[in-house]
Amino acid sequence: MVEITDVVCPLCGCVCDDIVVEVEDNRVTKVRGACAVGKSKLMGHGRIKSPAIRENGALKECSYDEAIKKAAEILAAARRPLLYGWSSTVCEATKVGVELAEEIGAVIDNTASVCHGPSVLAIQDVGLPSCTLGEVKNRASLIIYWGSNPTSAHGNHMKRYSYISKGYFLPGGKKDRKLVVVDVRETKTAKMADKFLRVEPGKDYLVFSALRAILYGNEDVVPDEVGGVSKNDLLEVASMMKETQFGIIFFGMGVTHSRGRHNNIVNAIQTTRAAHTHTKFNIMPMRGHYNVAGFNQVCTWETGFPFAVDLSLGYPWYNPGETSSTDLLIRRECDAALLIATDPGAHFPGESIRHLANIPVIQIDPFANPTTEFADVVIPTAISGVESEGSIYRMDNIPLRLRKLVDTEYMSDEAVMERILEEVRAIKAKEGE
Amino acid sequence: MVEELLIKNGVVYDPINGVKGEKKDICIRDGKIVEEVKNPKVIDAEGRVVMPGGVDIHAHIAGGKVNSGRLFRPEDGRKGIEPKTKVCRAQSGYSVPNTFATGYRYARMGYTFVMEPAMPPIAARHTHEELIDTPILDNAALPLIDNNWMTMEYVKSGDIDLLAAYIAWMIKATKGYGVKIVNPGGTEAWAWAKNCELNDAVPYFDVTPAEIVKSLAEANERFEMPHSIHVHGNMLGHPGNYVVTMKTFDLVKGTKPYRDRPVLHGTHTQFHSYGGTTWGDFESQAKAIAEYINSNEHASIDIGSVILGDTTTMTADGPMEYSLYQITGRKWTNHDVELETGTGITPFLYSGKVSVHTIQWAIGQELALLIKDPWKVALTTDHPNAGPFIGYPILISMLMNKRRRDESAEEMHSAIFDRAELPSIDREYDFYEIAIITRAMAAKTLGLAEHGKGHLGVGADGDVAIYDITPEERDDAGKIQKAFLNAKYTIKGGEIVVKDGEVVAAPQGKTFFVTPECDEKLMDEMMAKLKDTFEHYYSVSFANYPVQDAYVPNPYEIRAPWRS
Amino acid sequence: MQQISLKLKEEVMKGVAKIPIVVDSLTPDKLFGKSESEIKAEKVWWGNRQENTGDLFEVEVDGEAGSASEVKIVLDGDLSRVKYIGAGMTAGEIEANGDVDMHCGAMMRGGKITVHGNADCWAGREMHGGELLIEGDAGANLCAMYRGEITGMTGGKVVVEGDAGECVGQYMAGGEILIKGNVDILAGLNMKGGRITIEGNAVMPGADMTGGEIIVKGKVEDMIPSFRFVEVSTLDGAQYRKYSGDLAMTEKQAKGLLYVRA
Repeated sequence: MVEITDVVCPLCGCVCDDIVVEVEDNRVTKVRGACAVGKSKLMGHGRIKSPAIRENGALKECSYDEAIKKAAEILAAARRPLLYGWSSTVCEATKVGVELAEEIGAVIDNTASVCHGPSVLAIQDVGLPSCTLGEVKNRASLIIYWGSNPTSAHGNHMKRYSYISKGYFLPGGKKDRKLVVVDVRETKTAKMADKFLRVEPGKDYLVFSALRAILYGNEDVVPDEVGGVSKNDLLEVASMMKETQFGIIFFGMGVTHSRGRHNNIVNAIQTTRAAHTHTKFNIMPMRGHYNVAGFNQVCTWETGFPFAVDLSLGYPWYNPGETSSTDLLIRRECDAALLIATDPGAHFPGESIRHLANIPVIQIDPFANPTTEFADVVIPTAISGVESEGSIYRMDNIPLRLRKLVDTEYMSDEAVMERILEEVRAIKAKEGE
Repeated sequence: MVEELLIKNGVVYDPINGVKGEKKDICIRDGKIVEEVKNPKVIDAEGRVVMPGGVDIHAHIAGGKVNSGRLFRPEDGRKGIEPKTKVCRAQSGYSVPNTFATGYRYARMGYTFVMEPAMPPIAARHTHEELIDTPILDNAALPLIDNNWMTMEYVKSGDIDLLAAYIAWMIKATKGYGVKIVNPGGTEAWAWAKNCELNDAVPYFDVTPAEIVKSLAEANERFEMPHSIHVHGNMLGHPGNYVVTMKTFDLVKGTKPYRDRPVLHGTHTQFHSYGGTTWGDFESQAKAIAEYINSNEHASIDIGSVILGDTTTMTADGPMEYSLYQITGRKWTNHDVELETGTGITPFLYSGKVSVHTIQWAIGQELALLIKDPWKVALTTDHPNAGPFIGYPILISMLMNKRRRDESAEEMHSAIFDRAELPSIDREYDFYEIAIITRAMAAKTLGLAEHGKGHLGVGADGDVAIYDITPEERDDAGKIQKAFLNAKYTIKGGEIVVKDGEVVAAPQGKTFFVTPECDEKLMDEMMAKLKDTFEHYYSVSFANYPVQDAYVPNPYEIRAPWRS
Repeated sequence: MQQISLKLKEEVMKGVAKIPIVVDSLTPDKLFGKSESEIKAEKVWWGNRQENTGDLFEVEVDGEAGSASEVKIVLDGDLSRVKYIGAGMTAGEIEANGDVDMHCGAMMRGGKITVHGNADCWAGREMHGGELLIEGDAGANLCAMYRGEITGMTGGKVVVEGDAGECVGQYMAGGEILIKGNVDILAGLNMKGGRITIEGNAVMPGADMTGGEIIVKGKVEDMIPSFRFVEVSTLDGAQYRKYSGDLAMTEKQAKGLLYVRA
């Protein structure tokens, strides 16, 4: 039995990195310090046994080589291929993905398109006053979760980084902090709050505008009720914001996906800036997957743009709403897709899935999911963070490195991508002759 | 790669070896300059200007804030688009180019080394990942070690040896090159939305920026460090700050550097040479700063000169970036980094119609022209803060040509005539001096000359720039600008990477980093405190913090032993 | 006067995938002076490959033109995946017989585009001048800016006979937009100049505006709570409630005017 400490968890954007794991007979047998979902990922579960190619409606097992060659054929022939996913794999694989997208003239995109893409759009409008999670832990005496329920989606968030954590300037932890929750219903997190504001669905935008007016000293124009929230409650929260020494707003899908979408986030950031005229105030998106941020980082430094990058003209064109995966698929624009480290079946609108089922699809993933039901080529890979190491970025953009805990016969995502790129180049060289 | 290369008929400017425009052969074998070659590929420079590959001492090209700059400016990204070619990846961006464009554009300007000057230590991996994706250029990065809690605690207790152990650990853990200081104390105060002037006490830590600078200089000189402390002083951008600048330089006047180099490098000094008291009576005090540099030997500077147009400001000077955003109302990104530093980013448009910007534009050039010894000056734009690096050729043509300066001044705000010196300065740089401020000085000041950079002596790296201009054409400002933008040839490690202004090869560069060596007992004592800090206050674990070897695939290590 | 007819061949849009064609090279400016065979040889991107215009469209040229302003391009066929119609044009006319795809009239400076149908998102993006008439509905971001920019439309005239999607005229600095139907959320977002007239209803109009004018003749759902009521005003003989805003942008910046039919 081998004990491995400081294991980096490959599940959610918290990227807890103090996990302790016991490995016996090349298997993870015990996990300490992770939340339930993290533990499940590290211990592993049922996965795709072998590469396969669909023939006559059924998946037929084959070698890695055959599957990779078939994938390369599909991609090289496509006129509008899409390379989508990336959020649950490492940056090294993403880099090859960007290179491949450039080589074949594809659109490359990640789950931000269905998740925090709106946050990125907002940042491109007004910027993002933010910080690393350790700043929250050490300094934040006012914590606001807006449209976010960490007790369910980010198990260790409050304990490691926010409300319940103990920090340099806040050694009393919870006792030294105040928690405000804004949501459309009273969630488990809301029940812990010092102040809970229930906002009517779709009305967050109005509440932000009202708070801004108050923070800028124009409370006289604000009506008695905004979006289901009383003016008194707004005034109270605004006071809490003004009086804290360091405040933070964490926000999630509750605002990125309700009416207004990215403009809700613009407004949330504008509210933060208004609060900043009084005191230190930051804001942070609660990124979902453990390396969704990492894809955005790599894509940005390599192409200049963070996601939904259309390289079909040989240079990058970025325009979410046009080049984002869901839009491309709903409009039936793509004639081939590579889906890696993602489960579109879980996140995409039905219309997108229907189109995916009608075009050649290559799936690269350790685990079977609804996509496997219709994928034409299936390539199982090593589990990053368990069976292979690599570079990732936490939700606050801190870069960390996943560890390899056990050996495996599976190829890594990076290795599969390299091989596909190699085969595509060989096909194109032949065509050129 | 061609094994042997001979560049003949070039007029060579190699200041480190005292070569001042001599017709001379340059011989390269296996990537290094040699005395002679037997069977080389021959490049006939046909009387053109030949210099060592450019060495940039300070440009923000890789890391968290650079990428935040790119991410939040797709409107900058869609400028400067160039489709991929057989050799080159697709390029985008103007003030915040993608990493591929960064490498290609520098190489096309004849540069072969760039220093990333501000790496937040906890995010060092990010800087290195971007450097890996920056083609051609050799590189290094300076970790920020001045607003760190442990730095301030050791400064408070006066434990310079332990401070030295801490900076040694930091530089090693981040695979960094030296000690970077940015708004010392002030960026920690910014985490509470406050700032610090030179002699203010930092909230809670109760040390002053002055004490931090002095202590770090001393700690730095405990080792045989190739480079001095690299300082972005307090009050950047504030009218009247030239006084603070000189006071900051004075702090370390008595500190002895380990060898013949400055003990402090003041960076983007244009931003620190401001007179007046408000933006209303704002004026240049480059004269005062130049006089100071002329009469002292312990400090060097780089100019941080303005290029007119739209750009993106980004520094670890959080409070300064906030005030800038308050003035312009444009988008603003901030990133406070736990226990260490911070970042602020906001776009900025330098306009020749605005009096303040016009004076700023003049100040950078005044510094270069009024400082007598070019060995104390490096040409920079603090890319992208005062402007993008792609503007260097414009600056070179300005410094070499008074007429061009005068013509430009005519098009700008008249404040340049009574609140700046530039119109009254006649001096013109020659190619030799340009070679000093764009390569030789930086190589020397960074301690890289003996490691092969910035010169063409035997044993140096085969990094050569051949510019499409002859010495006789030195008065043609337009041709100078064109020549320095797209080199006739750029040779990197003996390989031709640019020909006729086009990138023809894109090999990967090396990352230089320093390994300071420290007494074990001292290190152990520091580590005990460090580990405690990780356990209680950092949000990442100690074991996951240091940069792994995978992030530096082409390492070049420089040891810095403890001075006895 | 010259008419260039371009009819998209049916087989182009028959596949499982409907892959967009980018036609920014097919404007009166760019085609002026070209012969029919030259136009057929003009390259257009269809997905990630460049094709000859003549392979995708039936091309017919009638008459002569002395300048680009005498050129009229008529587009027929399934135009729902034809992007960038009239992008950047400065003169002449384009008529599209059908629903058109994104970026129709983007960055145009002059001339006239008529869409006999709906226009997808970003029609009139960053427009500087000229006229754009959409007989059907317009998608989101009509006459808006490109991501990250702080200026969108600066001039020209746009009329939408039907409804328009969200964020009409975002970051508008000049020009005129008339929507005869309803608009989705956030019309006039970040507006700083120009005028938007909405004959139908609007939801959350004028958010973050700092200049310019929005006139809503129908009903407003969810008024932005940071606007200040100024007075009742008369425009063209009708009564309007006049508001100044958006005070969420601070008092100093709130120089926008929102008129809502009383």
